[in-house]
Amino acid sequence: METITIDPITRLEGHGKISIFLDTKGDVANAYLQIPELRGFERFSQGRRAEDMPQITSRICGVCPVAHHFASTKALDAAFNVDPPSAAKKLRELMYCGYYIYDHILHFYYLGGPDFVVGPDAPAAKRNILGVIEKAGVEIGKEVIKHRAYGQKITAILGGKATHPVCGLPGGVSKGLNKDEVKNIETMGKSCVEFAKFSLKLFDDIVLKNKDYVDLILSDPYTLKTYNMGLVDKNNKVNFYDGKIRVTDQKGGEHIKFDGKDYFKIIDEHVEEWSYIKFTYLKDIGWKGFKDGKDSGIYRVGPLGRLNAAEGMATTLADKEYKRFFETLGGKAVNSTLAFHWARLIELLYATERVMELIKDPEITSTKIRNPVGEPGEGIGVTEAARGTLIHHYKLDKDGLIDKANLIVATTNNAGAINMSVRNAAQGIIKKGKVNDGLLNMVEMAFRAYDPCFACATHTLPGGMPLEVNIYDENKRLYKKLRRNL
Amino acid sequence: MKTIILGVGNSILSDDGVGIHVANQLKQKINNPNITIDEALTGGMNLLDLLLGYDKAIIIDAVKIDNGEEGEVKRISLSKFSTMHSCNPHDVSLIEAIQMAEKLGETRIPKEIIVIGITMKKLPCEFGENLSEKIAMAVPKAVEITLNEIKK
Repeated sequence: METITIDPITRLEGHGKISIFLDTKGDVANAYLQIPELRGFERFSQGRRAEDMPQITSRICGVCPVAHHFASTKALDAAFNVDPPSAAKKLRELMYCGYYIYDHILHFYYLGGPDFVVGPDAPAAKRNILGVIEKAGVEIGKEVIKHRAYGQKITAILGGKATHPVCGLPGGVSKGLNKDEVKNIETMGKSCVEFAKFSLKLFDDIVLKNKDYVDLILSDPYTLKTYNMGLVDKNNKVNFYDGKIRVTDQKGGEHIKFDGKDYFKIIDEHVEEWSYIKFTYLKDIGWKGFKDGKDSGIYRVGPLGRLNAAEGMATTLADKEYKRFFETLGGKAVNSTLAFHWARLIELLYATERVMELIKDPEITSTKIRNPVGEPGEGIGVTEAARGTLIHHYKLDKDGLIDKANLIVATTNNAGAINMSVRNAAQGIIKKGKVNDGLLNMVEMAFRAYDPCFACATHTLPGGMPLEVNIYDENKRLYKKLRRNL
Repeated sequence: MKTIILGVGNSILSDDGVGIHVANQLKQKINNPNITIDEALTGGMNLLDLLLGYDKAIIIDAVKIDNGEEGEVKRISLSKFSTMHSCNPHDVSLIEAIQMAEKLGETRIPKEIIVIGITMKKLPCEFGENLSEKIAMAVPKAVEITLNEIKK
């Protein structure tokens, strides 16, 4: 048996590693994405003051500090048995939208987008943001930078520091908004709405009007018929910050809708010896291996998961795009992995529109932003990180110190599906042991769509895109090594 | 001339946070209105944002090595730096961020960017707030090298 290893993964800073196992004919038998996990978090948090958790957990991940910060804060609301004032919830959600704006812009223009804007077959050295600027023009590059920075600024105004939010407290937030800040956010938000509209048009012009790209999106190697999961509001519209968790099936029908606090009744974890990651699946369906279809409990989260798990977007323009998305891609559910990119832009539009709704809400300048906490107990907080459903679960002792902490992060929820997507893409491309450099990008495209977040604080990315492929013979001896930018 | 010294790393991931330990010690030793000392748990675009507007930037960070001694302190100029710490799994590297900013006409990029790297083999690290013995011993060396750097 031959093994192909891709490590580390281009443009995803981290130590994710792909192993592709070939059968005796040289076709792909299996493929695994190995994600190292940071160990010892539970032990690290034990005995700490619960109110420190939003700061501590926001350091787990440099990408999703805001998502961890508020999943943690919401878990503390529940653990201290307090419901924050409505203004505090709105401030949290507003900040959350700022995070979505910078995160989704970064992914589309810097990471996922280059495959489409520059082209999946373009040389690796061109398939990055510099290539995007070359193709789209310097003026557009400036707009990208500007609006990503606006997202950061909105987050920083509300959170203290964009990268280390310090505003979330059990029962509310530490800081409100003054009139100048409101005006500032409103100006930036307005510009962001226009930029999101522009981004969707760009996607339209470059991707949807190109038959080759649409065929690629709809092709078999990039199709996966799993369940989908995401938070929805009371009207089953996508929500990033609050609501119930809804799971839909391969045809878009509701499978189950539940409160975040019941997650352990619905979701179970499967362990594989080759990975630290526990693969989550729907308990009632069961773990059936790395298979899709209605008999396998694997589900997807993130932009595509959320759009599939909902019945629309809660803002006008995004909802229109939502409808067009499903009409164009053949109705519910959309099972095309590469449609994550389009879904991400629709969510970007929603986030910008929601910023405008919230900032115009008279309550946003309210000073009633915190309620007193009750006795410490147990709490579960759920938010939608940009890359999918995020769950924090704490048990506090009588002094309010952490006794137990459990986190289920977005990439864990997607881990089963990511593995299958990598395998399917490899199967479509590697035949009879023939491997070429183009293969690497096609396989990468399969998981880059998910925007996975590998154990953060893993390290080192050279200026270009590092890639290593190890090919082993059937005795697992290395006989070929392909390296790029290492 | 305005200089920024940035300790980069994650303070809850033991040795990964060494840059922040160094920055904290430097805060005790440097009192100069033209020198800013800060810390960052970030890389790429966000890191560049923090450097803009300074003439010189000194980044203190953990550097992963495959061979050689752990706990050594190396002064590396950015152009020679092939790997750059970032806790951010979906950002671009600092070098890419700089190239892009240059292309877009950014004029506030520091003329000189130096990395003071503390070598280590094992990354990612386990959760923890303390440095291992070898890495802790490198902190005074890194402080000294940084102090020499700003005297230049």
